Amino acid sequence: MKRDLALLLGILLALLAALLLWALHATLALEPGPRLAELASARLEQTGVSNPVTAVLLNYRAYDTLLELAVLLAALLGIWSLGPAPAGYQRSGPALAALVDWIVPLAILAGGYMLWVGGHAPGGAFQAGALLGAAGVILRLSGEPSAGLPGEPAQRWLVVLGAGVFALVGGGLLASGFGFLTYPPGQAKWLILLIESAATVAIGVTLTAAYVGGRPGSGTAHNGTGQSRTVQR
Amino acid sequence: MADLLILPVLVPLLGGLLATALPVRSALVGTLAALATSLSGLSITLLVWLHGDLGTVLGGWGVPLGIGLSADGLSAALLAMASLVALAISIYAGSYFAGSAQARHFWPLWLLLWSALNGVFLAADLFNLYVMLELLGLSAAALGALTGKREAIAANLRYLLVGLLGSLTYLLGVALLYTAYGTLDIGLLGERLGPTPIAATALALMVSGLALKTALFPLHFWLPPAHANAPAPVSAALSALVVKASFYLILRLWTELFAPITDIGAATLLGLLGAGAVLWGSWRALRAQRLKLLAAYSTVAQIGYLFLFFPLLASLPPGTARDDLFAACVLMALTHGFAKAGFFLAAGLVQQKAGHDRISELGGVAQRMPATTFSIALAGSALVGLPPSGSFIGKWVLMRGAFETGQWWWLPVTVLGTLLAAAYVFRVLSRAFGLEPTPLQFVTNARTEIPALLLAFASVALLGLAAGPVWAVLGFGAAPA
Repeated sequence: MKRDLALLLGILLALLAALLLWALHATLALEPGPRLAELASARLEQTGVSNPVTAVLLNYRAYDTLLELAVLLAALLGIWSLGPAPAGYQRSGPALAALVDWIVPLAILAGGYMLWVGGHAPGGAFQAGALLGAAGVILRLSGEPSAGLPGEPAQRWLVVLGAGVFALVGGGLLASGFGFLTYPPGQAKWLILLIESAATVAIGVTLTAAYVGGRPGSGTAHNGTGQSRTVQR
Repeated sequence: MADLLILPVLVPLLGGLLATALPVRSALVGTLAALATSLSGLSITLLVWLHGDLGTVLGGWGVPLGIGLSADGLSAALLAMASLVALAISIYAGSYFAGSAQARHFWPLWLLLWSALNGVFLAADLFNLYVMLELLGLSAAALGALTGKREAIAANLRYLLVGLLGSLTYLLGVALLYTAYGTLDIGLLGERLGPTPIAATALALMVSGLALKTALFPLHFWLPPAHANAPAPVSAALSALVVKASFYLILRLWTELFAPITDIGAATLLGLLGAGAVLWGSWRALRAQRLKLLAAYSTVAQIGYLFLFFPLLASLPPGTARDDLFAACVLMALTHGFAKAGFFLAAGLVQQKAGHDRISELGGVAQRMPATTFSIALAGSALVGLPPSGSFIGKWVLMRGAFETGQWWWLPVTVLGTLLAAAYVFRVLSRAFGLEPTPLQFVTNARTEIPALLLAFASVALLGLAAGPVWAVLGFGAAPA
């Protein structure tokens, strides 16, 4: 009985998928209407960056990106509200520790490069922040309970840094008469770089803190004596 | 002036960031930000009322490259309701969470939720709406799980996943529209959209995704446990405001963007689902053992009424009769916002005092809190649709519309739903007429009881006796006498 139901459900889902594929096919077969991509490339010179993706994320549709940063923050706040962080992992052996000592600085360095290169080639705050986050995850896995993050007060300021600088730049521009997130000509590049730098740090810290998996402070603050509680993988 | 449209989104966002960074002061930061947000929302409503529709495009690129913000009568009406209800919830929450560790988690998430809510009401861009819906759903689910109890976390994890499914389905529709028409701006898209199979597929995807998020029967299964297990101020926000955001979007897309392809058949389908919601939700509310579960099922039913308007709107030509129906639908949504928020806030006080919310054992507690019981009675009368509440006018226009368009089958649904609502409201109120001693003072805790009372009062008096402004904000002629 249950299998019959599963089969029926499967068939219905397959039909739905076929319908959607047909709709997509029919859409793609249409006469291509005006596309935003050409328009976006045509006005790329005025955006302050030469990478079209960065231009879309930080200039044309900067408002969306600001809210994406808020989404990231909301996810972390949700994780924090559910309880303290679990204890970290066992300290790594000398071989892994030596490797980590190499990889983490390299990841941070590569993150900085990604941030800068985003202005004219693939890269940008999200990629750079992901590298910083990866560095934090590696630290946590190798037995550093704080994953390289500072204490709770500093951590809280760091996770709001991205959306905060973004919103303040937007609000500042609004107050000085340009309109919300409307960069004055000639200053777009530096404002975007400022926002992206802040966002990189915030994304890196947020991803790491999300991986740590709970409120900083109380739970993670086991100091050497907490070794017995550490999880072994 | 249109530049100010960003403020109802920006102010709570900045407040939420500051409340995150300063956890010890989060209640103070949160309350101040709530006041400022409410003020910014109300000023936008006032501007729309005085000067008509507002619109701007962020970033100085113009559409279609930039993201548009716009406020018309519909946005303004919901923005005003959200501003007032959310302010009352904030004042209540300041006292409800006082001295509890939950406060520092509540304020940042609450302000982010409010920012997303205002963002939905003001957005003029389909993808921006998706981002707003994501922020709204994520912060709502996190807030719903704040008590940390097992059932609350389970219910809200389900809520989160259902919400994600809903927004991704919506996004799929947006992607189809963008591929076919090359723009995300609602205004531009409206000019290009024709009755094609692609537009119909996009409509079906977007509306079903949003119907899931707005808990339209039979997609309501996630709502009762999620709303009933949240802390009281959060339940109020989820039931009064969050489901309204996706309903607002359905109403807007259905009557504006997709107007060329929505016909009476599709609208009747929505109406039938609404009828199912009215009957099933009211019945389950009547059978509920717990006060907050009753309120949650009542939300399912009240959402159902809003969808009964769709087949009537579809069968009327543009004109006064259709305007009246549209305004009545909005009026019912607004009334439910005030009434349900007031109901949940009052129910939360009863629960706090009694330590439980089992309806059969509430007698003594309810009697010791006259103001709270009065709030439940007022809000309840608005849920039933007794005069002079806003939903009385709403149901009146609904039933008149059903008569005039010959769709008489919506009448028994409305009547039956109203009777069931009266039954479940009086089932609660009958508990307050026991033999226990009644205290001399009416209000026992001003900071929590007054917001609940004001909300309940607004749903009955403000929107009932003074429904005219709703018509005026929506840009229609005088309200029906």
